[in-house]
Amino acid sequence: MHAIRTLFAGVLLSSASLTLSAAGLEVGDPYVRAVPPGQSNSAAFMSLRNISTEEHALIGAESPAAETVELHTHVEEDGLMRMRRVGRIVLPAGETTTLAPGGLHVMLIGLKSELTPGQNVELTLIQDDGERLVIQAPVRRLEPMHHAAH
Amino acid sequence: MKRSSIAILLAAAVSAGILSCLEPGPASESSQAPLELATPPTGGDFTLDSAAGPVRLSDLHGQVVLIYFGYTACPDICPTNLVSIANALRSLHPAELDRTRVLFVSVDPERDDPEHLARYVAYFHPNVLGLTGTPEQLAQVAKRYGAAYQRVENTGSAMGYLIDHSAFTAVVDPDGRLVQTLGHASPPETIRAAIRTALGTKP
Repeated sequence: MHAIRTLFAGVLLSSASLTLSAAGLEVGDPYVRAVPPGQSNSAAFMSLRNISTEEHALIGAESPAAETVELHTHVEEDGLMRMRRVGRIVLPAGETTTLAPGGLHVMLIGLKSELTPGQNVELTLIQDDGERLVIQAPVRRLEPMHHAAH
Repeated sequence: MKRSSIAILLAAAVSAGILSCLEPGPASESSQAPLELATPPTGGDFTLDSAAGPVRLSDLHGQVVLIYFGYTACPDICPTNLVSIANALRSLHPAELDRTRVLFVSVDPERDDPEHLARYVAYFHPNVLGLTGTPEQLAQVAKRYGAAYQRVENTGSAMGYLIDHSAFTAVVDPDGRLVQTLGHASPPETIRAAIRTALGTKP
């Protein structure tokens, strides 16, 4: 049953880059960062658009690719980059919340095998209403960042 | 209520981050990382361990050396900067690349031995060397270069301890002088320009 569901998600993704949950959460452009050999952790990034009229939250994630999956963020304070685990990522109604390098991310801890660019990593996003959304996030090599704050 | 207070806290944390990004550095150079030191970092010579044996900064005399302090378990901040640096290196002329080295100094010697570091840095660019040392050596080198880091226990994460760290890149000119620091996520063009300035070639 699980395999069929995964296969189905994969087929859906091959035709569209967006995945929509029953609660109205739209996942855009998910990807997992390719990491150097021997590196046991990576991170997944994506945009989460809540097209419903109610606030939702992401409260966790799972993946067969890693021993543990957590939600993390970065805060820059006193010149230090501090990475911290967060219990939930709030998704305000009608807004897009972006998980991107340097900020919020889904942390994959204890990778079970090396990540090859192009390979898909299955991620299950768990919402506060209990819904579990399975997505496929392709592994991408890192690209240089150009964000507006710098 | 609980949700919204978390949101407010997050928003406060994010704006604090943005503010600290925008705050001008001591030399009003926007690319400089804010340094929490009473005296400006002086740089200077040091020796740390690589997989191929000890590396002394002064042995790299005649080359521009970029120094970045981080750790390999760092999933995002360190790779972001290393990719940017590697892309800058790839955009240099061969003669400039021959005179440019990058030192990735791990402040996590417990998890990063020199062999692991060598495999890690090779992924980014062959001109990157992975170095580490004893906690005492690392503290001394970091202090000289204005780098700060702090091991955080009880993170509530399966990662175990985490390391908060500054994320700038120090630029050392061919005479071994610390001439500039480049802030976190500086784009490759900025890094390349700093390398060329330090080399004395056309930016």
